[in-house]
Amino acid sequence: MKPRGLTDPRTGRWPYAAAQLRQEDQEGRMWSLVGFQTGLKWGDQLAVVQLIPGLENAEIVRYGVMHRNTYLNAPKVLDADLQLKLRPGTFVAGVLAGTEGYLESAATGWLAGTNAARAALELGSIVPPQESMLGGLTRYLASANPKNYQPMNVNWALVPELPVPEGRKKLGKREKRPVLYKIGLNAFVAWARDAGLDVTEPTPAEPPRAAEETAEPVLR
Amino acid sequence: MTAIPSITVVGAGLAGSEAALAAAKLGVHVHLYEMRPKVMTPAHRSGNFAELVCSNSLGGQGDLQAKGLLQSEMRAVGSAVLESADASRLPAGGALAVERESFSQRITDAVRRHPLITVYGEEVTELPAGPCVIATGPLTAEALSGELARLTGDEQLAFYDAAAPVIAFESINMDIVFRAGRYEQSADYLNCPMNKDEYDAFYTALEAARSHTPHDWEKLEFFEGCMPIEEMPGAARTRRASAR
Repeated sequence: MKPRGLTDPRTGRWPYAAAQLRQEDQEGRMWSLVGFQTGLKWGDQLAVVQLIPGLENAEIVRYGVMHRNTYLNAPKVLDADLQLKLRPGTFVAGVLAGTEGYLESAATGWLAGTNAARAALELGSIVPPQESMLGGLTRYLASANPKNYQPMNVNWALVPELPVPEGRKKLGKREKRPVLYKIGLNAFVAWARDAGLDVTEPTPAEPPRAAEETAEPVLR
Repeated sequence: MTAIPSITVVGAGLAGSEAALAAAKLGVHVHLYEMRPKVMTPAHRSGNFAELVCSNSLGGQGDLQAKGLLQSEMRAVGSAVLESADASRLPAGGALAVERESFSQRITDAVRRHPLITVYGEEVTELPAGPCVIATGPLTAEALSGELARLTGDEQLAFYDAAAPVIAFESINMDIVFRAGRYEQSADYLNCPMNKDEYDAFYTALEAARSHTPHDWEKLEFFEGCMPIEEMPGAARTRRASAR
Protein backbone atom coordinates (compact mmCIF):
# COMPACT_ATOMS: atom_id res chain seq x y z
CA MET A 1 0.00 0.00 0.00
CA LYS A 2 3.07 2.17 -0.11
CA PRO A 3 2.59 5.25 -2.27
CA ARG A 4 6.26 5.96 -2.99
CA GLY A 5 6.95 7.07 -6.54
CA LEU A 6 3.30 6.93 -7.58
CA THR A 7 2.44 10.40 -8.78
CA ASP A 8 -1.31 10.90 -9.13
CA PRO A 9 -1.72 12.92 -12.36
CA ARG A 10 -4.79 14.62 -10.89
CA THR A 11 -2.93 16.06 -7.91
CA GLY A 12 0.70 15.93 -9.07
CA ARG A 13 1.55 14.29 -5.74
CA TRP A 14 1.96 10.88 -4.14
CA PRO A 15 -1.24 9.80 -2.40
CA TYR A 16 -1.26 8.89 1.31
CA ALA A 17 -1.51 5.21 0.33
CA ALA A 18 -2.28 3.27 -2.83
CA ALA A 19 -3.69 -0.10 -3.81
CA GLN A 20 -2.20 -1.41 -7.05
CA LEU A 21 -3.67 -3.69 -9.70
CA ARG A 22 -1.68 -5.86 -12.11
CA GLN A 23 -2.85 -7.03 -15.52
CA GLU A 24 -3.68 -10.75 -15.66
CA ASP A 25 -4.89 -11.38 -19.24
CA GLN A 26 -3.65 -10.39 -22.68
CA GLU A 27 -6.49 -7.96 -23.34
CA GLY A 28 -6.30 -6.16 -20.00
CA ARG A 29 -9.83 -7.05 -18.95
CA MET A 30 -8.81 -8.72 -15.67
CA TRP A 31 -6.67 -7.05 -13.01
CA SER A 32 -5.56 -8.54 -9.70
CA LEU A 33 -4.97 -6.59 -6.52
CA VAL A 34 -1.24 -6.76 -5.80
CA GLY A 35 -0.42 -8.26 -2.40
CA PHE A 36 -4.08 -8.93 -1.58
CA GLN A 37 -3.91 -12.71 -1.39
CA THR A 38 -6.76 -13.51 0.96
CA GLY A 39 -8.93 -16.18 2.50
CA LEU A 40 -11.73 -13.79 3.46
CA LYS A 41 -15.32 -14.90 3.00
CA TRP A 42 -16.60 -13.74 -0.35
CA GLY A 43 -19.17 -11.28 0.94
CA ASP A 44 -16.68 -9.65 3.28
CA GLN A 45 -14.02 -9.70 0.58
CA LEU A 46 -16.22 -7.78 -1.84
CA ALA A 47 -17.20 -5.26 0.86
CA VAL A 48 -13.57 -4.60 1.77
CA VAL A 49 -12.45 -4.28 -1.86
CA GLN A 50 -15.26 -1.84 -2.59
CA LEU A 51 -13.91 0.48 0.12
CA ILE A 52 -10.88 1.14 -2.08
CA PRO A 53 -11.31 4.40 -4.00
CA GLY A 54 -12.03 3.66 -7.66
CA LEU A 55 -13.21 0.15 -6.84
CA GLU A 56 -16.54 1.20 -5.30
CA ASN A 57 -18.39 -0.73 -8.02
CA ALA A 58 -15.76 -3.44 -8.49
CA GLU A 59 -16.92 -6.69 -9.98
CA ILE A 60 -14.74 -9.54 -8.72
CA VAL A 61 -14.41 -12.16 -11.47
CA ARG A 62 -12.22 -14.42 -9.37
CA TYR A 63 -12.25 -14.22 -5.57
CA GLY A 64 -9.10 -14.49 -3.51
CA VAL A 65 -8.51 -17.91 -1.97
CA MET A 66 -5.69 -19.54 -0.05
CA HIS A 67 -5.38 -23.26 0.29
CA ARG A 68 -3.36 -26.35 -0.26
CA ASN A 69 -3.33 -27.07 -3.97
CA THR A 70 -1.13 -28.58 -6.66
CA TYR A 71 -1.10 -26.80 -9.98
CA LEU A 72 1.13 -25.94 -12.89
CA ASN A 73 2.06 -22.47 -14.05
CA ALA A 74 -0.22 -23.02 -17.02
CA PRO A 75 0.90 -20.08 -19.19
CA LYS A 76 4.49 -21.30 -18.97
CA VAL A 77 3.94 -25.00 -19.55
CA LEU A 78 0.65 -25.55 -21.41
CA ASP A 79 -0.71 -24.80 -24.86
CA ALA A 80 -4.39 -23.95 -25.36
CA ASP A 81 -5.09 -27.58 -26.36
CA LEU A 82 -3.94 -28.48 -22.79
CA GLN A 83 -0.82 -30.24 -24.04
CA LEU A 84 2.48 -29.91 -22.17
CA LYS A 85 4.84 -27.87 -24.34
CA LEU A 86 7.78 -29.97 -23.14
CA ARG A 87 6.15 -33.36 -23.61
CA PRO A 88 3.90 -33.57 -26.67
CA GLY A 89 1.15 -36.16 -26.26
CA THR A 90 0.80 -35.44 -22.54
CA PHE A 91 -2.31 -33.42 -21.74
CA VAL A 92 -3.17 -31.91 -18.36
CA ALA A 93 -6.66 -31.25 -17.01
CA GLY A 94 -8.53 -30.05 -13.96
CA VAL A 95 -7.03 -28.26 -10.99
CA LEU A 96 -3.50 -29.41 -11.91
CA ALA A 97 -3.86 -27.48 -15.18
CA GLY A 98 -4.45 -24.23 -13.26
CA THR A 99 -8.23 -24.15 -13.26
CA GLU A 100 -10.57 -23.72 -10.32
CA GLY A 101 -14.05 -25.22 -9.96
CA TYR A 102 -15.78 -28.54 -10.49
CA LEU A 103 -17.18 -27.57 -13.84
CA GLU A 104 -13.88 -26.18 -15.07
CA SER A 105 -12.25 -29.49 -14.09
CA ALA A 106 -14.81 -31.55 -15.96
CA ALA A 107 -14.66 -29.33 -19.05
CA THR A 108 -10.87 -29.31 -19.30
CA GLY A 109 -10.97 -33.07 -18.67
CA TRP A 110 -13.32 -33.47 -21.59
CA LEU A 111 -11.03 -31.44 -23.88
CA ALA A 112 -7.84 -33.17 -22.71
CA GLY A 113 -9.45 -36.61 -23.15
CA THR A 114 -10.70 -35.68 -26.61
CA ASN A 115 -7.28 -34.38 -27.64
CA ALA A 116 -5.38 -37.34 -26.18
CA ALA A 117 -7.70 -39.68 -28.10
CA ARG A 118 -7.13 -37.66 -31.25
CA ALA A 119 -3.39 -37.91 -30.70
CA ALA A 120 -3.72 -41.70 -30.40
CA LEU A 121 -5.72 -41.68 -33.65
CA GLU A 122 -3.04 -39.50 -35.26
CA LEU A 123 -5.38 -36.55 -35.65
CA GLY A 124 -4.35 -33.04 -34.67
CA SER A 125 -5.59 -31.52 -31.43
CA ILE A 126 -8.47 -29.06 -31.35
CA VAL A 127 -9.24 -25.94 -29.30
CA PRO A 128 -12.77 -24.56 -28.84
CA PRO A 129 -13.45 -21.11 -30.30
CA GLN A 130 -12.58 -18.09 -28.21
CA GLU A 131 -16.24 -16.99 -28.03
CA SER A 132 -17.06 -20.16 -26.08
CA MET A 133 -16.45 -20.31 -22.33
CA LEU A 134 -14.24 -23.39 -22.62
CA GLY A 135 -12.27 -21.77 -25.44
CA GLY A 136 -11.89 -18.59 -23.39
CA LEU A 137 -10.69 -20.56 -20.37
CA THR A 138 -8.12 -22.69 -22.21
CA ARG A 139 -6.77 -19.63 -24.05
CA TYR A 140 -6.41 -17.88 -20.71
CA LEU A 141 -4.50 -20.86 -19.31
CA ALA A 142 -2.07 -20.66 -22.22
CA SER A 143 -1.70 -16.88 -22.37
CA ALA A 144 -2.25 -15.36 -18.90
CA ASN A 145 0.40 -13.40 -17.02
CA PRO A 146 2.81 -16.15 -15.86
CA LYS A 147 4.11 -14.03 -12.98
CA ASN A 148 2.63 -15.50 -9.81
CA TYR A 149 -0.01 -17.37 -11.86
CA GLN A 150 -3.10 -18.28 -9.83
CA PRO A 151 -5.83 -20.76 -10.82
CA MET A 152 -8.76 -19.32 -12.79
CA ASN A 153 -12.48 -20.01 -12.84
CA VAL A 154 -14.80 -19.16 -15.71
CA ASN A 155 -16.12 -15.62 -15.98
CA TRP A 156 -17.41 -13.28 -18.67
CA ALA A 157 -14.10 -11.47 -19.13
CA LEU A 158 -12.75 -14.66 -20.76
CA VAL A 159 -14.87 -14.22 -23.90
CA PRO A 160 -14.66 -11.32 -26.37
CA GLU A 161 -16.60 -8.22 -25.45
CA LEU A 162 -19.64 -7.00 -27.37
CA PRO A 163 -19.23 -3.73 -29.25
CA VAL A 164 -21.01 -0.88 -27.47
CA PRO A 165 -23.69 0.56 -29.76
CA GLU A 166 -23.16 4.14 -30.92
CA GLY A 167 -24.51 6.70 -28.48
CA ARG A 168 -24.28 4.31 -25.52
CA LYS A 169 -21.63 4.47 -22.82
CA LYS A 170 -21.79 0.81 -21.86
CA LEU A 171 -24.06 -2.21 -21.91
CA GLY A 172 -25.67 -3.57 -18.76
CA LYS A 173 -24.94 -7.11 -17.60
CA ARG A 174 -28.49 -8.25 -18.19
CA GLU A 175 -28.37 -6.87 -21.69
CA LYS A 176 -25.10 -8.33 -22.79
CA ARG A 177 -24.72 -11.64 -21.00
CA PRO A 178 -27.62 -13.42 -22.74
CA VAL A 179 -26.14 -12.24 -26.06
CA LEU A 180 -22.66 -13.47 -25.13
CA TYR A 181 -24.25 -16.74 -24.02
CA LYS A 182 -25.92 -17.26 -27.41
CA ILE A 183 -22.80 -16.32 -29.36
CA GLY A 184 -20.65 -18.59 -27.22
CA LEU A 185 -22.95 -21.60 -27.34
CA ASN A 186 -23.54 -21.30 -31.09
CA ALA A 187 -19.82 -21.01 -31.76
CA PHE A 188 -19.08 -24.00 -29.54
CA VAL A 189 -21.72 -26.21 -31.13
CA ALA A 190 -20.62 -25.29 -34.68
CA TRP A 191 -17.00 -25.99 -33.74
CA ALA A 192 -17.80 -29.38 -32.17
CA ARG A 193 -19.83 -30.38 -35.22
CA ASP A 194 -17.00 -29.33 -37.57
CA ALA A 195 -14.61 -31.43 -35.51
CA GLY A 196 -16.84 -34.46 -36.11
CA LEU A 197 -17.92 -34.81 -32.47
CA ASP A 198 -21.36 -36.01 -31.39
CA VAL A 199 -23.46 -32.96 -30.67
CA THR A 200 -26.84 -32.70 -28.98
CA GLU A 201 -28.62 -29.57 -30.15
CA PRO A 202 -29.07 -27.35 -27.06
CA THR A 203 -32.66 -26.73 -26.06
CA PRO A 204 -33.52 -23.07 -26.65
CA ALA A 205 -35.28 -22.80 -23.28
CA GLU A 206 -32.56 -22.72 -20.64
CA PRO A 207 -33.11 -23.42 -16.95
CA PRO A 208 -34.60 -20.62 -14.88
CA ARG A 209 -32.42 -17.57 -14.58
CA ALA A 210 -30.30 -17.46 -11.49
CA ALA A 211 -29.55 -14.48 -9.36
CA GLU A 212 -26.88 -12.36 -10.95
CA GLU A 213 -24.06 -13.38 -8.66
CA THR A 214 -23.34 -16.69 -7.01
CA ALA A 215 -23.05 -16.08 -3.30
CA GLU A 216 -20.55 -18.74 -2.30
CA PRO A 217 -17.52 -20.52 -3.71
CA VAL A 218 -18.53 -23.55 -5.73
CA LEU A 219 -15.33 -25.42 -5.05
CA ARG A 220 -13.70 -25.29 -1.66
CA MET B 1 -7.00 -57.12 -26.87
CA THR B 2 -7.21 -55.84 -30.43
CA ALA B 3 -4.70 -53.31 -31.69
CA ILE B 4 -6.93 -50.30 -31.31
CA PRO B 5 -5.09 -47.15 -30.24
CA SER B 6 -5.01 -46.48 -26.52
CA ILE B 7 -4.40 -43.65 -24.08
CA THR B 8 -3.68 -43.46 -20.36
CA VAL B 9 -5.60 -41.27 -17.94
CA VAL B 10 -4.21 -40.67 -14.46
CA GLY B 11 -6.78 -39.69 -11.84
CA ALA B 12 -10.51 -40.41 -11.77
CA GLY B 13 -11.83 -37.19 -10.31
CA LEU B 14 -14.12 -34.94 -12.30
CA ALA B 15 -11.45 -34.18 -14.90
CA GLY B 16 -10.05 -37.70 -15.28
CA SER B 17 -13.47 -39.40 -15.40
CA GLU B 18 -14.67 -36.98 -18.03
CA ALA B 19 -11.40 -37.38 -19.98
CA ALA B 20 -11.69 -41.18 -19.95
CA LEU B 21 -15.31 -41.16 -21.14
CA ALA B 22 -14.63 -38.51 -23.82
CA ALA B 23 -11.69 -40.49 -25.18
CA ALA B 24 -13.57 -43.80 -25.12
CA LYS B 25 -16.39 -42.16 -27.04
CA LEU B 26 -13.91 -41.56 -29.87
CA GLY B 27 -13.16 -45.28 -29.98
CA VAL B 28 -9.80 -45.47 -28.26
CA HIS B 29 -8.99 -47.85 -25.44
CA VAL B 30 -8.49 -46.03 -22.12
CA HIS B 31 -6.26 -47.22 -19.28
CA LEU B 32 -7.55 -45.29 -16.28
CA TYR B 33 -5.51 -45.19 -13.07
CA GLU B 34 -6.96 -44.17 -9.71
CA MET B 35 -4.98 -44.66 -6.49
CA ARG B 36 -8.02 -44.39 -4.22
CA PRO B 37 -9.15 -46.21 -2.13
CA LYS B 38 -5.78 -48.01 -1.87
CA VAL B 39 -3.99 -44.70 -1.28
CA MET B 40 -6.42 -42.15 0.17
CA THR B 41 -6.10 -38.38 0.28
CA PRO B 42 -6.97 -36.17 3.27
CA ALA B 43 -9.95 -34.78 1.33
CA HIS B 44 -11.67 -37.83 -0.13
CA ARG B 45 -13.95 -40.21 1.74
CA SER B 46 -14.56 -42.96 -0.78
CA GLY B 47 -13.09 -44.87 -3.67
CA ASN B 48 -15.80 -43.55 -5.96
CA PHE B 49 -14.91 -41.53 -9.02
CA ALA B 50 -15.71 -37.82 -9.38
CA GLU B 51 -16.23 -37.44 -5.64
CA LEU B 52 -17.22 -33.88 -4.71
CA VAL B 53 -14.92 -32.96 -1.86
CA CYS B 54 -16.48 -29.65 -0.98
CA SER B 55 -19.68 -27.92 -2.04
CA ASN B 56 -22.33 -29.90 -3.90
CA SER B 57 -22.97 -27.09 -6.39
CA LEU B 58 -21.72 -26.99 -9.96
CA GLY B 59 -22.43 -23.27 -10.16
CA GLY B 60 -25.14 -20.88 -11.23
CA GLN B 61 -27.25 -21.72 -14.24
CA GLY B 62 -28.76 -19.87 -17.13
CA ASP B 63 -27.67 -17.27 -19.63
CA LEU B 64 -26.56 -14.64 -17.11
CA GLN B 65 -23.90 -16.91 -15.65
CA ALA B 66 -20.48 -17.81 -17.06
CA LYS B 67 -20.89 -21.23 -15.43
CA GLY B 68 -24.27 -21.52 -17.12
CA LEU B 69 -22.67 -21.14 -20.53
CA LEU B 70 -20.02 -23.74 -19.74
CA GLN B 71 -22.72 -26.14 -18.50
CA SER B 72 -24.61 -25.74 -21.78
CA GLU B 73 -21.45 -26.28 -23.83
CA MET B 74 -20.71 -29.46 -21.91
CA ARG B 75 -24.29 -30.72 -22.27
CA ALA B 76 -24.06 -30.20 -26.03
CA VAL B 77 -21.10 -32.59 -26.31
CA GLY B 78 -22.62 -35.21 -24.02
CA SER B 79 -20.48 -34.60 -20.93
CA ALA B 80 -20.85 -37.42 -18.41
CA VAL B 81 -20.50 -34.98 -15.51
CA LEU B 82 -23.37 -32.81 -16.75
CA GLU B 83 -25.51 -35.84 -17.55
CA SER B 84 -24.95 -37.17 -14.06
CA ALA B 85 -25.52 -33.75 -12.49
CA ASP B 86 -28.82 -33.32 -14.31
CA ALA B 87 -29.93 -36.78 -13.18
CA SER B 88 -28.90 -36.18 -9.53
CA ARG B 89 -30.00 -32.58 -9.17
CA LEU B 90 -31.40 -31.09 -6.01
CA PRO B 91 -33.47 -27.92 -5.75
CA ALA B 92 -31.04 -25.05 -5.12
CA GLY B 93 -32.54 -21.86 -6.49
CA GLY B 94 -30.54 -20.84 -9.52
CA ALA B 95 -27.64 -23.21 -8.92
CA LEU B 96 -26.96 -26.66 -10.35
CA ALA B 97 -26.67 -28.56 -7.07
CA VAL B 98 -26.47 -32.34 -6.92
CA GLU B 99 -26.95 -35.20 -4.51
CA ARG B 100 -23.31 -36.17 -3.98
CA GLU B 101 -23.51 -39.94 -3.65
CA SER B 102 -25.74 -40.58 -6.63
CA PHE B 103 -23.82 -38.02 -8.71
CA SER B 104 -20.52 -39.75 -8.15
CA GLN B 105 -22.06 -43.24 -8.32
CA ARG B 106 -23.49 -42.58 -11.79
CA ILE B 107 -20.11 -41.47 -13.09
CA THR B 108 -18.35 -44.39 -11.41
CA ASP B 109 -20.82 -46.81 -13.05
CA ALA B 110 -20.49 -45.18 -16.47
CA VAL B 111 -16.70 -45.46 -16.28
CA ARG B 112 -16.60 -49.02 -14.87
CA ARG B 113 -19.17 -50.36 -17.31
CA HIS B 114 -17.60 -48.84 -20.41
CA PRO B 115 -16.21 -51.64 -22.57
CA LEU B 116 -13.29 -49.49 -23.76
CA ILE B 117 -12.16 -48.35 -20.29
CA THR B 118 -9.95 -50.49 -18.07
CA VAL B 119 -9.58 -49.25 -14.49
CA TYR B 120 -6.43 -49.88 -12.47
CA GLY B 121 -6.53 -49.22 -8.72
CA GLU B 122 -2.91 -48.17 -8.54
CA GLU B 123 -0.87 -45.08 -7.93
CA VAL B 124 1.07 -43.81 -10.95
CA THR B 125 4.55 -42.64 -10.08
CA GLU B 126 5.91 -41.82 -13.53
CA LEU B 127 4.52 -39.95 -16.49
CA PRO B 128 3.03 -42.57 -18.83
CA ALA B 129 4.41 -43.27 -22.28
CA GLY B 130 2.20 -42.39 -25.25
CA PRO B 131 -0.83 -40.10 -25.35
CA CYS B 132 -2.08 -39.46 -21.85
CA VAL B 133 -4.08 -37.15 -19.60
CA ILE B 134 -2.75 -36.16 -16.18
CA ALA B 135 -5.66 -35.13 -13.98
CA THR B 136 -4.45 -35.82 -10.49
CA GLY B 137 -5.92 -32.76 -8.84
CA PRO B 138 -5.03 -30.52 -5.90
CA LEU B 139 -3.66 -33.40 -3.83
CA THR B 140 -1.44 -35.00 -6.46
CA ALA B 141 0.72 -37.63 -4.80
CA GLU B 142 4.35 -36.90 -4.12
CA ALA B 143 6.00 -39.18 -6.68
CA LEU B 144 4.07 -37.84 -9.65
CA SER B 145 4.41 -34.24 -8.44
CA GLY B 146 8.13 -34.84 -8.35
CA GLU B 147 8.10 -36.13 -11.93
CA LEU B 148 6.15 -33.09 -13.10
CA ALA B 149 8.47 -30.71 -11.26
CA ARG B 150 11.49 -32.41 -12.80
CA LEU B 151 9.99 -32.03 -16.28
CA THR B 152 8.77 -28.44 -16.01
CA GLY B 153 11.21 -27.07 -13.45
CA ASP B 154 10.41 -26.78 -9.73
CA GLU B 155 9.22 -23.21 -9.94
CA GLN B 156 6.44 -24.11 -12.42
CA LEU B 157 4.61 -26.36 -9.94
CA ALA B 158 2.86 -24.77 -6.96
CA PHE B 159 1.73 -26.55 -3.79
CA TYR B 160 -0.62 -23.90 -2.54
CA ASP B 161 -2.58 -21.07 -4.05
CA ALA B 162 -2.56 -17.55 -2.65
CA ALA B 163 -4.91 -15.74 -4.96
CA ALA B 164 -5.82 -12.09 -4.71
CA PRO B 165 -9.20 -10.93 -6.01
CA VAL B 166 -9.26 -10.35 -9.77
CA ILE B 167 -11.40 -7.44 -10.90
CA ALA B 168 -13.14 -6.78 -14.21
CA PHE B 169 -11.56 -3.74 -15.85
CA GLU B 170 -14.93 -2.44 -16.96
CA SER B 171 -16.04 -2.15 -13.32
CA ILE B 172 -13.08 0.04 -12.31
CA ASN B 173 -13.67 3.78 -11.99
CA MET B 174 -10.92 5.26 -14.15
CA ASP B 175 -11.92 8.79 -13.09
CA ILE B 176 -10.18 7.96 -9.79
CA VAL B 177 -7.75 5.18 -10.66
CA PHE B 178 -4.59 6.13 -12.58
CA ARG B 179 -2.06 4.19 -14.63
CA ALA B 180 1.52 4.52 -13.44
CA GLY B 181 4.65 2.69 -12.41
CA ARG B 182 6.76 3.70 -9.42
CA TYR B 183 8.99 6.66 -10.22
CA GLU B 184 10.06 6.38 -13.86
CA GLN B 185 9.01 2.75 -14.35
CA SER B 186 6.65 1.99 -17.23
CA ALA B 187 2.99 2.63 -16.45
CA ASP B 188 2.01 -1.03 -16.12
CA TYR B 189 -0.07 -0.75 -12.96
CA LEU B 190 -3.47 0.65 -12.12
CA ASN B 191 -3.27 2.65 -8.91
CA CYS B 192 -6.09 3.41 -6.50
CA PRO B 193 -5.09 6.50 -4.48
CA MET B 194 -6.22 6.66 -0.85
CA ASN B 195 -6.23 9.55 1.59
CA LYS B 196 -5.75 8.95 5.30
CA ASP B 197 -9.47 8.60 6.08
CA GLU B 198 -10.02 6.17 3.21
CA TYR B 199 -7.00 4.15 4.23
CA ASP B 200 -8.09 3.96 7.87
CA ALA B 201 -11.64 2.98 6.91
CA PHE B 202 -10.26 0.26 4.64
CA TYR B 203 -8.05 -1.21 7.36
CA THR B 204 -10.76 -1.05 9.99
CA ALA B 205 -13.03 -3.03 7.65
CA LEU B 206 -10.22 -5.47 6.86
CA GLU B 207 -9.64 -6.15 10.54
CA ALA B 208 -13.35 -6.81 11.07
CA ALA B 209 -13.80 -9.03 8.02
CA ARG B 210 -14.32 -12.75 8.53
CA SER B 211 -12.19 -15.50 7.03
CA HIS B 212 -13.33 -18.62 5.26
CA THR B 213 -12.88 -21.63 7.56
CA PRO B 214 -10.64 -24.05 5.72
CA HIS B 215 -11.00 -27.83 5.68
CA ASP B 216 -8.16 -29.49 7.56
CA TRP B 217 -6.43 -30.57 4.38
CA GLU B 218 -6.56 -27.07 2.97
CA LYS B 219 -4.76 -25.46 5.89
CA LEU B 220 -1.53 -23.73 5.16
CA GLU B 221 1.34 -22.61 7.21
CA PHE B 222 1.85 -19.06 6.21
CA PHE B 223 5.26 -17.76 5.52
CA GLU B 224 6.61 -14.41 4.40
CA GLY B 225 5.42 -13.75 0.86
CA CYS B 226 2.14 -15.62 1.18
CA MET B 227 0.65 -14.00 4.26
CA PRO B 228 -3.05 -13.26 3.75
CA ILE B 229 -3.75 -9.55 3.77
CA GLU B 230 -6.26 -9.93 6.63
CA GLU B 231 -3.43 -11.24 8.83
CA MET B 232 -1.38 -8.16 8.14
CA PRO B 233 -3.13 -4.99 9.29
CA GLY B 234 -1.02 -4.55 12.42
CA ALA B 235 2.24 -5.45 10.71
CA ALA B 236 1.47 -3.36 7.64
CA ARG B 237 0.69 -0.30 9.74
CA THR B 238 3.92 -0.58 11.63
CA ARG B 239 5.94 -1.08 8.49
CA ARG B 240 4.22 1.75 6.76
CA ALA B 241 4.73 4.15 9.63
CA SER B 242 8.44 3.41 9.72
CA ALA B 243 8.72 3.89 5.97
CA ARG B 244 7.33 7.39 6.04
